[in-house]
Amino acid sequence: MFAAALVALAIPPLLNAITPEGHFLHVSAFTLSLYGKYLCYSVLALGINLLWGYTGLLSLGQCLFFALGGYALGMHLMLLIGKLGQYKAEIPDFMVFLEFPARFPTTGGLPPHWIPFRSFAFASAAVIWVPGLVALVFGWLAFRSRIKGVYFSILSQALTYAATLMFFRNDFTFGGNNGLTDFKVILGHDINTPATRRALYLASAGLLTLTYLFCRWLSRTKFGLVQRAIRDSENRVLFSGYATSHFKLFVFVVAAVIAGLGGALFVPQVGIINPSEMAPEKSLEAVVWCAVGGRASLVGPILGAIGVNALKSYATHAFAEQWPYLLGSLFVFVTLFMPKGLVGLPDQFRALQRKWRKGVSNP
Amino acid sequence: MAFLPSITKELRPGPVKDWSPALAAILLLVLCLVQAAAAATTPAPSSARSTLARVIFSPDISEQATLLRGLIGSTDPGVEAVLTAWRGGSLFVHDNPDGSQTAFLLDPTTDGDGHAQGLSILDDQPIPGPDAKPLLFSPSELTPADTTAKLRKAIKNTLDFMALGNPDPRFRKDAVVKLGQERNLEYLPLFEARAREEKDPEVSRRLAEALALTRTASPDPAVRVPALRTLGELRSVTSLSFLQSFEKKLRDGPTPPNDESLLAVHKTVLDIETYQQRGNLIGTAFRGFSLAAVLLVAALGLAITFGLMGIINMAHGELMMVGAYTTYVVQNLVRSAFGPSGLPLETYFLVALASSFVVTAAVGLILEQGIIRFLYRRPLESMLATWGVSLLLQQVFRHVFGAANVQVGSPSWLSGSLVIQDVLFAYNRIFVIFFAALIVLGTWSLLTRTSVGLQIRAVMQNRAMASTLGVRTDRVNMLTFAYGSGLAGMAGACLSQIGNVGPGLGQNYIIDCFMIVVLGGIGNIFGTVTASLGVGVTDQILQPWLGAVMGKITVLATIILFLQWRPAGLFVTRSRSLEG
Repeated sequence: MFAAALVALAIPPLLNAITPEGHFLHVSAFTLSLYGKYLCYSVLALGINLLWGYTGLLSLGQCLFFALGGYALGMHLMLLIGKLGQYKAEIPDFMVFLEFPARFPTTGGLPPHWIPFRSFAFASAAVIWVPGLVALVFGWLAFRSRIKGVYFSILSQALTYAATLMFFRNDFTFGGNNGLTDFKVILGHDINTPATRRALYLASAGLLTLTYLFCRWLSRTKFGLVQRAIRDSENRVLFSGYATSHFKLFVFVVAAVIAGLGGALFVPQVGIINPSEMAPEKSLEAVVWCAVGGRASLVGPILGAIGVNALKSYATHAFAEQWPYLLGSLFVFVTLFMPKGLVGLPDQFRALQRKWRKGVSNP
Repeated sequence: MAFLPSITKELRPGPVKDWSPALAAILLLVLCLVQAAAAATTPAPSSARSTLARVIFSPDISEQATLLRGLIGSTDPGVEAVLTAWRGGSLFVHDNPDGSQTAFLLDPTTDGDGHAQGLSILDDQPIPGPDAKPLLFSPSELTPADTTAKLRKAIKNTLDFMALGNPDPRFRKDAVVKLGQERNLEYLPLFEARAREEKDPEVSRRLAEALALTRTASPDPAVRVPALRTLGELRSVTSLSFLQSFEKKLRDGPTPPNDESLLAVHKTVLDIETYQQRGNLIGTAFRGFSLAAVLLVAALGLAITFGLMGIINMAHGELMMVGAYTTYVVQNLVRSAFGPSGLPLETYFLVALASSFVVTAAVGLILEQGIIRFLYRRPLESMLATWGVSLLLQQVFRHVFGAANVQVGSPSWLSGSLVIQDVLFAYNRIFVIFFAALIVLGTWSLLTRTSVGLQIRAVMQNRAMASTLGVRTDRVNMLTFAYGSGLAGMAGACLSQIGNVGPGLGQNYIIDCFMIVVLGGIGNIFGTVTASLGVGVTDQILQPWLGAVMGKITVLATIILFLQWRPAGLFVTRSRSLEG
């Protein structure tokens, strides 16, 4: 089953590489990037599932970490543009028209905290530690004072809302509402060639596989057991002598790092990162992918992320006006009628069948 | 028709500047004679009118200015009209066949070709042609009577002085302020004369201010110093910028530093600045209170559904939107039934408030019965489901009313503002403050003074126990949720008087509302009141320093940190239950 999934993941880039353009089996570079995007979203969903499905913590701010990872890599890509930009300047275009050279004269217009991002290694490390650190600080504050349940959800939503407002500001030095875009090269390769796209897709597939394996491993350890025990009854775990807040903090940071990694691979494939990517409604949408696929299972979130996003891509083209209706109904329908998501449907059917049989046998 | 071009050719702009005064005097004499002759047949022009004519045809700017001054105090409304027209370039001059000239205004009524009669400024009568019929002029072929910038200024000045006698106090006030700023000592007698007659207190105050301000221009320190002091006593905010530059000039000037005027002006500036700071403080406090009231109105419904029932209703903002749109619909209904103005439109808002409560409570009822009651044990899921509902509601309203904001008018008693000591208190904000107080009081008495409230509190504290004691918990839940939703609807109706009404209305408030309820402490209405006050006032204090966005971010961050100190919010409802 796992092997079959791996093979399925490898098919699109293979088709892109071996079939000529126009062939009926050909997968265009654009489509490949689209699939790559779904895979990144799946990684994000796996992180959410780790929090919500396995620990019972519903964070409504996961897209903040996703976007932070994206911004970290985006900054590196932005600096790689160099003189290929429209203003032919050393610094990214938005810094030119926001008159950064006057604000940061000693560095030629580049804000000091951007300088280390010239190094790919630093940017990659930042993809991990920036979301991780934010999660650590926020989680430590939240769990220390025993904020849980819906309060945690609301606070995490407020956090991502505040961050969105912050990133929308031009003088926050991250490009304001336009964000970071117009990337040209990554690691010395033109970002728009099919070969680079294939590589990025494969990297996303690899990341998804690794995340999946990590989650599977974690859920089978003793740690995973405690995690689920916290979800089912935190107080009992607490009274059994476990420092639940440490467990929760660890899971929260891990989920944030996972989200950040997904975001980092998302950016070069989509070609833009802006504050709307961390808006509160994005995080809610991501939670719904989990709910649709089925939380507390490992395949469910992946299924949900790919399914809902594929549906969204199709719907926003075919009937853009009606998409919010569909999404809204999905929220309501899934929570009311499919509490276990797509993965739980067979069980639901079986239960229904049993009930029906019982009804027939003793009327 | 054919003779028109020849007539328009004869029309010339007003006085030509290089005419020698002698010629002008002759002309004036001729004019006067002509007028005297005309007076035999037509009603005699008032003396003001003839002065007016002299001004228009006088070649000398200083004479014109003097004559203009003489027009002040004229009770003839025509004079003002002519001066306004002159300044605006719609006064024309006609050369009479006998060599004399008549200034005229065009009759606003035109014939089919766009031609109009010329009404002489002397008697408002049409200018007769050679055949004794009124002459017709074409506006496009006329050149207005000449003016210079200096003359226009003098005319404006005269008009301002005439406005001092205007029956409408608002015009008088504006004119007094404007003339006072000129600091022209020649105006003093006019101000004094006006001050003796003035009855309106606001205009009287402005007159005193203008008098003092003008007197500061006096070279005599005995006049100047008391005037400066008077300005300080009057707390004249309008003259602050002048006084500041005046102080600077005195300081940098050759006068010795212990000069009495300098001392006086320094004290006055300090006085006014203190006064202004106090005003700013009051203004900030008022804005803080009004923001707090808005937040409170918006969050109170949530405090009921979230605080008392534990339901995370993400569609709360959209319920507010429903209320706002209900106001819009009621307004349109009233407008189409009773016309665009009048008593019905003045009172529609009260009807709209009531209907928005009813409509939104009904929506809440459906929401509770259709979705939420299945999710009481799964609070996190109820959050997702209601978020879905909020998406649905937003899209429905976008479909029905369009994505753009809709116009909700304010009744006249809610627009404008009250001015006390130079501080503005907007009526709609005052209304929201009172309204917030009213619904808090109403909700509080409902919860503590009625049997329904008792049941609500019982269900909130221990659902199972309440149920065993015979409380119909599902019905109580349904009604509580409907009431909370109805409050959200009224909040929306209120917000329609303050901000824009559009499909995204709810999104702007939802996160603030949640934060306020969490900050205030769950299940405690006074916590919600305190939290809204704290957030509203803090936000308004921070805004001038940090800007709107940073202020908001700071408030959010402060709330998150505050919850470290008091995790359960400001007011904790004590409970022995572990999972509460």
